[in-house]
Amino acid sequence: MRKKILGFMVAAILIMGMFSVSSAADYRIGALFPFTGTLALLGNETFNGAVIAQDMVNEKGGIGGRKVSWVKADGVDPKKAITECERLIAVEKVKVVFGTYSSSLSYAASEVAERNKIIYWEQGGIADNITARGFKYLFRTIPRAGDFGVMAANFVNEVVAPTLKIDPKKIKVGIMFEDSLYGTSVGNAAAKRAKELGLDVVATESYSAKTVDLSSIVMIFKAKKPDVIIATSYMEDSILFWRQAKDMDLNVKVFIGTGAGHGMPEWAKTFGKEGNYIFNVDPPIGINPKVFKAETATLLNDFRERFNKKFGHYPAVHATAGFVGAQVLLETIGKAGSDDPEAIRKAALTIDIPEGGTIFGFGVKFAPPDHPAAGQNLRAHPVLMQWLDQKLSVVYPKAFAVAEPLMPLPTWEQRAKGQTSFIK
Amino acid sequence: MDLTILQLIVNGLLLGGMYALISIGLTLIFGVLEIINFAHGEFLMLSMYGSYWLFQLYGVDPYLSLLIILPAFFFIGLLVQRTTIQPILEAPPLNQIFMTVGLSMVLQNLALFIWTADYRTVKTSYSALTLKTAGLMISFPRLVAFLLAMGMISALLLFLKKTYMGKSIRALAQERKAAMLMGINVYRTYQIAFGIGIACVGAAGALLIPVYFVFPSVGSLFVLIAFVVVVLGGYNSLTGSLVGGLIIGVVEAFSGFYISPHLKEAIYFVIFILILLFRPMGLFGRA
Repeated sequence: MRKKILGFMVAAILIMGMFSVSSAADYRIGALFPFTGTLALLGNETFNGAVIAQDMVNEKGGIGGRKVSWVKADGVDPKKAITECERLIAVEKVKVVFGTYSSSLSYAASEVAERNKIIYWEQGGIADNITARGFKYLFRTIPRAGDFGVMAANFVNEVVAPTLKIDPKKIKVGIMFEDSLYGTSVGNAAAKRAKELGLDVVATESYSAKTVDLSSIVMIFKAKKPDVIIATSYMEDSILFWRQAKDMDLNVKVFIGTGAGHGMPEWAKTFGKEGNYIFNVDPPIGINPKVFKAETATLLNDFRERFNKKFGHYPAVHATAGFVGAQVLLETIGKAGSDDPEAIRKAALTIDIPEGGTIFGFGVKFAPPDHPAAGQNLRAHPVLMQWLDQKLSVVYPKAFAVAEPLMPLPTWEQRAKGQTSFIK
Repeated sequence: MDLTILQLIVNGLLLGGMYALISIGLTLIFGVLEIINFAHGEFLMLSMYGSYWLFQLYGVDPYLSLLIILPAFFFIGLLVQRTTIQPILEAPPLNQIFMTVGLSMVLQNLALFIWTADYRTVKTSYSALTLKTAGLMISFPRLVAFLLAMGMISALLLFLKKTYMGKSIRALAQERKAAMLMGINVYRTYQIAFGIGIACVGAAGALLIPVYFVFPSVGSLFVLIAFVVVVLGGYNSLTGSLVGGLIIGVVEAFSGFYISPHLKEAIYFVIFILILLFRPMGLFGRA
């Protein structure tokens, strides 16, 4: 009896094996995301965006007649991401790994893929160092953290200085950032870019996001009197700083946040009107549809409706990043005509999508292997938004803008009286 | 004196008053029960939620909510002491640590489960009120927190000096066996001391909510400083906690401005180590 059962099980395993062989006609792509654990919410959301891209391709008969399927792998933390990536490559025999939403997971897992000469396609992790290792099989569609800081500095140079009628060489810039990897990469990039542009950087201060008091930074800015502050903060420190800035009557002409704290709905909820008119750099959502090529505008609409139908809500930035990443990947596989890593790598380097060609508005052109940011989409960039009536509206770059930027910020005294003195 | 220096002193003292109020309960519990309450920050978080909800649901002003929070947290303290601390009073120190660390995790995750990880703030008419005198800027809610903290600490010191219960608490802190021989009801006194300690941190939560915000792990931001203050002050000295809290606050304000905001935590830890090297029992501690 026992032998019979054993025999049956062996047969079952063999049959299952045959099935997986017969379905090998599909393009099987590893999908490495934190599907469970603390990062699960946005991990799943991101992957859902990619699922819509897959649906769109499969409905049209797949890529060259071969359908696309995801092989899901759950990378809850960097350690697990490594073992799961190894499993995808060794056991599931995938040729492409798509992921990962979180930078630390991506950084760890892409190491494994590179060693095995397997394509690692990153759509969501923004840490600069992911594409600073000269990897040949790694590609990233989303902008880097540093691009957020660069964007803020460019805006000061191109828009703020002329509007306020201050010579860019004389405009005083204060930079503050929380001292983890995120804040440091954005803040340092902003400082570097500001110095390249010749802006007068009067203070560069970092702090721990876990602090319960930021009065010392407020005091430093009061002493150095910057015209512009560029800040990179998480939620609690962004709120703390703005409250203490009000307590001590710190007035600046322009305040630019660079993602995280300054872009969250909690900002408006906490400050109401007092949170208005500050700027924030974030990935391009809600941009002016004029940027899009005609077919991209249709695609964006199609994506939003399908997503809402399948998942019950409209996609926000993470799902959009998942969609854009998957869409460009599938296009690249189509171009390569196979999922052989070498062929995909060559095809990826020839991808040339102009501005307006993705639903993020930016185009796609990957940096070649000898570039310092090998594999990075050099056309990816965030946009600058402004809090108006407790909502974010895109104001820069001009082609993406839906509103005019308003400056200078009203002083706290003006705010109390409901006055503003914007320069037209 | 330079206005900047005066402003820094004001900022530092206001901050230090808050640290002192949070630390004083921890000192009392450690001094009397000889238990390190790792769940101290979570009680702070609970009281912040307490006054947040009182404000949101019933419109109770956070300062007025002290009248409810203080007795409520005193009884919560009694209850927690009776159910979780009393059974482990004689246990080895390691087990005691596990118990309070465990309690902290349970409370934190419970809060996460019930109230989610959202940041919640209270908006009162005075949340952003600033008093301006002679060029100095003093945040009104921080000033109120500071003054009430000083008032409560003085009341507590008076209570410990003048009342029978206060004297029993001090007696227990000094020599437990002798106190028992003198007929002090040890377990009841322990409960009361723990209750007072929790009520203190409860008050701190109500005073913090107008200037700060609450989320399930907010306690961990404050509790590390509270431990530094307790050790700096001398483990079981309430005056020590008060002075220690103010010192840390002022050091933080000055080092943040003159050295770097990035290094202010490092600097008060260096001072902390130096004091321990030269006065191992802390500033006001007795061996």
